[in-house]
Amino acid sequence: MSLHVLAAEEGFVPPTTGDFWQPLIGDGAFAITRSMFVIVISVAVIAGFMLLVARNMSVVPGKLQFAGEGLYNFVRNSVAIDILGSRNFRPFLPLLLTQFLLILVNNWFGVIPPIQFPTFGRIGFAVALTLITFVVYHAVGIRRKGLGGYFRGLMPPGIPGWIAPLVYVLELITFFVTRPLTLGMRLFANMFAGHMLMLVFILGGEYMLLEGSNLFVNISSVGAFVMAIVMTFFELLVQFLQAYVFVLLTALYIAGSLADEH
Amino acid sequence: MSEQHDDRPGRAESERDAAAAWSVPAYLLGGMAFYGLVGWLLDRWLGTSWLVLVGVLTGTALALYVIWLRYGTR
Repeated sequence: MSLHVLAAEEGFVPPTTGDFWQPLIGDGAFAITRSMFVIVISVAVIAGFMLLVARNMSVVPGKLQFAGEGLYNFVRNSVAIDILGSRNFRPFLPLLLTQFLLILVNNWFGVIPPIQFPTFGRIGFAVALTLITFVVYHAVGIRRKGLGGYFRGLMPPGIPGWIAPLVYVLELITFFVTRPLTLGMRLFANMFAGHMLMLVFILGGEYMLLEGSNLFVNISSVGAFVMAIVMTFFELLVQFLQAYVFVLLTALYIAGSLADEH
Repeated sequence: MSEQHDDRPGRAESERDAAAAWSVPAYLLGGMAFYGLVGWLLDRWLGTSWLVLVGVLTGTALALYVIWLRYGTR
């Protein structure tokens, strides 16, 4: 990002949406981008960590095992069992844990040096993840109730006949458009906007410090840097919460598909 | 792995509360957006300008009705 400061002769250049498009190899639609590298690194990190934890299991857990089991138990107890119930949660736990760890690590990579790039600030990655959730909760519902039964089950009971078609359209929109749209958009927008906010404070502070026209402006950059640090810690919290909310909603949607006729 | 978390009595409620909390905005958004769009299209077709408002309000009302049916009556 220091390119901005080098090009600062014409004044401050604010960060733009273009900063998130960083092709490393090639260009155009088939370029290998920085986000692709980051997500591959994240998969290697998660796989390595989990393998390391699983290989050295002992009755008295060490620090590593404690951390690994903590993450596992968090998803298992406060998402899977809490939402899906102890009878149904098991087939979905691998999906939920994988989604949680992938989102959490990639989000935290938005802050952790030297990576400092949020993968899900590129909407394609959020869309791909949302599609998995979308296919799973519909497939679970259709497998359980049959195709006709599933679409009949979308209708809440006890609706007078004349209003039923209007409500049914709303249900269809909610299940097939609003849910996936809000799920993917929430993750993408939070990562994108959060990273942008940190960029503004950090680049602004850098510009004030190095290019400021007088001493007062140079000293005022301290305020920008303090805000940058505050926002960075706030981002760490948001990044965790987004990972939690994503798997929580995935579990809720699956639970809705598993539920018996209302 | 012990199953000490076996269906606690509060689980069903906590699931329903969470589902309600997350579904309410989705229904409201979907209702307003879809029936607002229908109203807007009718406006363009008929050359009026007030059907979009009727659409948004109808969508909001329907969304509230569904929310009440699904989460308010139990």
